[in-house]
Amino acid sequence: MQVPEDLKYTDEHEWIKQIDGRLRVGITDYAQDQLGDIVYVEIPEVGKSVAKEDILVEVESTKSVGEVYSPVAGTIAAVNEAVADNPELVNSSPYEEGWLVEIDPEGELDDSALLDATAYRELTE
Amino acid sequence: MNRSSLHDLNVELGARLIDFGGWEMPVQYESVLEEHKAVRNSAGFFDVSHLGRFALRGEGAAEALSRLLCNNLDRIEPGRAQYSMMLGEDGGVVDDLIVWWLTDDEYWVMPNAVNQPRVMAAFAEHDGVTTTDLQSTTAMIAIQGPEGPDVIEDVLEQRVGRFRTKHFQWGGGPVWLAGTGYTGEPGGELITDPKTARTVAAALLRHGVRPCGLGARDTLRLEAGLPLWGQDLDETTTPIEAGLGFAVDFDHDFVGKDALERQRDDGLERRLIGFVLEGRGVPRHDYPVRTERGTGKVTSGNMSPMLETGVGMAYVAPPPEVGDSLEVEIRGRWVAGSVVKPPFHRS
Repeated sequence: MQVPEDLKYTDEHEWIKQIDGRLRVGITDYAQDQLGDIVYVEIPEVGKSVAKEDILVEVESTKSVGEVYSPVAGTIAAVNEAVADNPELVNSSPYEEGWLVEIDPEGELDDSALLDATAYRELTE
Repeated sequence: MNRSSLHDLNVELGARLIDFGGWEMPVQYESVLEEHKAVRNSAGFFDVSHLGRFALRGEGAAEALSRLLCNNLDRIEPGRAQYSMMLGEDGGVVDDLIVWWLTDDEYWVMPNAVNQPRVMAAFAEHDGVTTTDLQSTTAMIAIQGPEGPDVIEDVLEQRVGRFRTKHFQWGGGPVWLAGTGYTGEPGGELITDPKTARTVAAALLRHGVRPCGLGARDTLRLEAGLPLWGQDLDETTTPIEAGLGFAVDFDHDFVGKDALERQRDDGLERRLIGFVLEGRGVPRHDYPVRTERGTGKVTSGNMSPMLETGVGMAYVAPPPEVGDSLEVEIRGRWVAGSVVKPPFHRS
């Protein structure tokens, strides 16, 4: 199971990467493996405002529906259209090609509740 | 939790195991989609040892089957299998099942896994019958796919026709085989002792047949338009509403007959329909459905791996016609589709 060192994680199995003040969000390798073959990803529209813990994205496999929650309040700044067309990218490349959305956060990210790679790895073991 | 005789092999093959009606069974080995496509394009095998099964013998067996099930074994003969249902007095489906009529006086009844105790008990109450549980003493393997019959011939040296049964010795053990399945593909299902089952599974693997989990079995049966008891059928639905009239024979007396005759004569308030979505989204159990004629709820739905679009079944009252437009509410959004006659995918 891959857990890149340079990312932050939530206990809901999402990863967060800070890119020039934006937060890129996806689901972890562990999460995609648990869901199984992903057949549908419902992404929000760019410009939509989200509150912390709002549902950002729905990721559906043949077996179940997984919800991705927003780690912060903010505005959707970018979405990965490629995963809408090819949901299996989330399975094959959860940290790179299978990223989901980027958020412009309102204010600073409170990362006290986020996990580093070591802590996240422990959570999934 | 009950375990299949193939449990150790399943673990060795990397299966993900989940609870199916009290049985710890493989939901997938590597990928539901790949397993699904293997069965559609070539062949796969499934450990279905959780399925209900018991032997029915005795001078009262034929009468018990005729009274307790709505289909009629008079339509077939020994060496054949038949799809049937056990109904309540109100016509509701207590269970849908397959009967293997092996020899003149031996019948094997295959209820859904969770319904084994109830169905077996209903038969055991009948005069002049004995029931013998096979669920806990045997293993069951399904071999399915366009190449399924060839796999069965290559590995087991047998051919079995659709809905025919066979009994033979293989690898030192007794095997009972029927040309049945739950995927919409040809092939068969076999029952044998635990040791022989492990030998069969090993031979199938050596032959290059992919092991497939119950996740793929569910998407395959949905694509084939086959209802699942507990989702598309239960005690609140009748065979007529579910479009299973082909498995009801009114030429004999059975529990629930009066209710079905009334429904047949008075017409249906609702019917189980199939639908295909044109818009994006995955229909799931319990999602609301609307048509110009009536409304209802999805009973089974998923992304069809072959069509790559959402498909499903729903009870709609009053029932729409094939070709009517339909919408499914997916998280607050009405997604467009149309009513079709299953199967959704034809092999």
